[in-house]
Amino acid sequence: MFRNNYDNDSVTFSPQGRIFQVEYAQEAVKQGSVVVGIVSKTHAVLAALKRNAEDLSSYQKKIIPIDAHYGIALAGLASDARVLSNFMKQQSLSSRLTYDRAISLAEITARIGHRAQVNTQHYGKRPYGVGLLIAGVDAKGPHLFEFQPSGVTQEMVACGIGARSQMARTYLERNLDHFEGSSRVELVKHALRALKDSLSQGRELTVDNTSVGVAGISEDFKLYEGQDIASWLDATFENREEGEEGESMEVDT
Amino acid sequence: MNHFPQAWGRPRDDVYGAYDASYLHDQNGPKAHTQSPIVTGTSVVAMKFKDGVVIATDNLASYGALARFTNVKRLRQFNTRAVLGFGGDVSDMQYLDRLLSSLSIRENYSAYASSADSADATEASAELNAKNLHTYLSKVMYKRRSDFNPLWNAILVAGLDGDGKPFLASADLLGSTFSAPSLATGFGAHLAQPMMRRVVPNEAAVANTTREMAEKAVRDAMKVLFYRDARSMDRYSIAIVSKEGGVEMMEDEQLEGQSWAFADRIRGYGTQVN
Amino acid sequence: MTSIGTGYDLSNSVFSPDGRNFQVEYAVKAVENGGTAIGIRCKDGVVLALEKLVTSKLLKPGANKRIATVDRHMGVVSAGLLPDGRHFVSRARDEAAQWRRFYKGPIPTSALANRMGSYVQAYTLYSSVRPFGVTAIVAGWDSEAELPVDGQVGAGPAVGAGGKKEGGKQGGPFLYMIEPSGLYWGYYGAATGKGRQAAKTELEKLDLGSGELTLEQGVKEAARIIYVAHEDSKDKDLEVEMTWVSALDGPTKGRHEEVPKELREEAERLAKKALEGDDDEEEGAERMQE
Repeated sequence: MFRNNYDNDSVTFSPQGRIFQVEYAQEAVKQGSVVVGIVSKTHAVLAALKRNAEDLSSYQKKIIPIDAHYGIALAGLASDARVLSNFMKQQSLSSRLTYDRAISLAEITARIGHRAQVNTQHYGKRPYGVGLLIAGVDAKGPHLFEFQPSGVTQEMVACGIGARSQMARTYLERNLDHFEGSSRVELVKHALRALKDSLSQGRELTVDNTSVGVAGISEDFKLYEGQDIASWLDATFENREEGEEGESMEVDT
Repeated sequence: MNHFPQAWGRPRDDVYGAYDASYLHDQNGPKAHTQSPIVTGTSVVAMKFKDGVVIATDNLASYGALARFTNVKRLRQFNTRAVLGFGGDVSDMQYLDRLLSSLSIRENYSAYASSADSADATEASAELNAKNLHTYLSKVMYKRRSDFNPLWNAILVAGLDGDGKPFLASADLLGSTFSAPSLATGFGAHLAQPMMRRVVPNEAAVANTTREMAEKAVRDAMKVLFYRDARSMDRYSIAIVSKEGGVEMMEDEQLEGQSWAFADRIRGYGTQVN
Repeated sequence: MTSIGTGYDLSNSVFSPDGRNFQVEYAVKAVENGGTAIGIRCKDGVVLALEKLVTSKLLKPGANKRIATVDRHMGVVSAGLLPDGRHFVSRARDEAAQWRRFYKGPIPTSALANRMGSYVQAYTLYSSVRPFGVTAIVAGWDSEAELPVDGQVGAGPAVGAGGKKEGGKQGGPFLYMIEPSGLYWGYYGAATGKGRQAAKTELEKLDLGSGELTLEQGVKEAARIIYVAHEDSKDKDLEVEMTWVSALDGPTKGRHEEVPKELREEAERLAKKALEGDDDEEEGAERMQE
């Protein structure tokens, strides 16, 4: 039934010092659709591919605004993300209430990292099955953090997680040098192109399946969906082929 | 008439039955917290000027009318952008001091923990400023008064807000807060405020007030307070917070140019009782 | 590892017939895979240094600091599972804060090591938890001065008895290392993580026991030792993180702080130079053998 004797729970080390349950939880992140985040000197951007279970169903929410100054994008178990996002909302509000200060992204990331770690050390708990990108602007400028089920959190310049995200990361690594000086719209375009690279053959980004979140210095975090991102999509993929464009046009009408 | 004094003012036993004193001996009876301060500091005075804030207290802690401790520092620097002045109970002030120390240590955890080799400017802007600190303290004071266990203090928070502008606000044992171009607690609210208001009657006047004007007004206020406040002393501390200079703290100042000529003909003032 | 598969290694807090707790030993394995961390106790302070492997180009350079401040005068670096290291630091901060609340003063380094040793040990006692996958090095400067009665407020009595011992000395630099079993020792030079063997060899050459090495020399040695320990995983990019803590009259004024950028870069430059020298010799020797 099990691959080995050491993967039954998250309180057992393998002889190599690995914790298989945590590694399996990381696999759940790879089942989720891809999300991408990038920061420049002035802005932080999230872009996500939304999935729908069937044609007539709605799309799964991928980007959640948390506080005025930041939001998260998720890949993996959405219900775990909801638990974490509720926690983040509470902590963020409490910082504003107690100190009249927007919580720093490093601090809020550390707090969910700490929660996730506890789930990997106690019997009867399971690791979170979700990866997050936390993006926004605080007193120290724009930031992007990655959160993993293991409780590992890292500050990134750009990052992609979820299904086939390696392709997005390849794009990001290739264009790494351009991000810092990018304008707001350029940064969104980079994020969309990275996202596009992770799509399977023949699929396209449309106003229905794409979400974008943007925060900037003196610009609150805002989630853009539907027609609000049409112009970005058009500008990013202007030489899109006729047939592919038809798909998005159809939805528009 | 009952001639036992302990029975005076009590319901008559012959009418109401024996007095039920059991609640007095009940260990689980009504709980009482602080009902009055013990060792106290008197006024805190402060006023804004165009680039910052001046704040001052004397160095005395009184035990009732007795000048008990004469080198107690009632100004506390929190960082380069905030100074607090405490009036009221000194042991509560010491508690708050430790509370602020632990806050400052917690803030210091992340001083470099998350950022790359960032410029000092952004580093400083992430620090708690005077406004943050005042919000925090007002929550602490309000929580404690709502628990019927107040911290018996009147506090002024002086420094800079998030935009680097002068900030001055008060918080007190009731959890009330107030903000104005000049503030004073205790006796100072009656004696020092009118003097400082002559210099900064409103926010608009702050822009025309130099550091020298503000410092002089505060030092003058300290002198008048020493003349008229019997719980005050002529050794005092003064701090100036400004964007350029950070915090300049002077903790052992002597009131200069005292003149007691006015006291000559006042009866019942000072040592001249009759 | 001959007992693998006999079933005694599947649960924490279980002894094997020959008296071993395998889950703790496996936790040590997790530590041995982490980047090298070292600490050097010098005569006027302590240095902590960490080999940080850059696992992705997308990581923000210079961010993601891993040496943590636990109290004003104390820092912790750990090797092993990163989230476990954070848990350790979080507990250490709580202990230090609790000590301050209770005693109105900073926690001595030895007391913190003791408390954290007990905490880590507790995670070897129950089958419902797993041991910490970290070995942590704690560095601190304990004040040499008599503490004022109430921290910074008031000066305390100017005269009177304090039970002072003539010529008695207290405080100074301290260094401890805590292992997943909860075991801890005080050290002059401590090393853990992947490159610990090479690092230990280098530390032993320094004659730290004599207490001659200055803090500034310590910083340079620490950088060099991290580079030496990095030799085996040379293919991976490296960031060196260093912090230090000195006396009140030293460069950090009794606080645990990051080593200033200029000094760290200078130390890294010297470290690389020293290593290039070594490499030339080695290459020469290899060619001889060929």
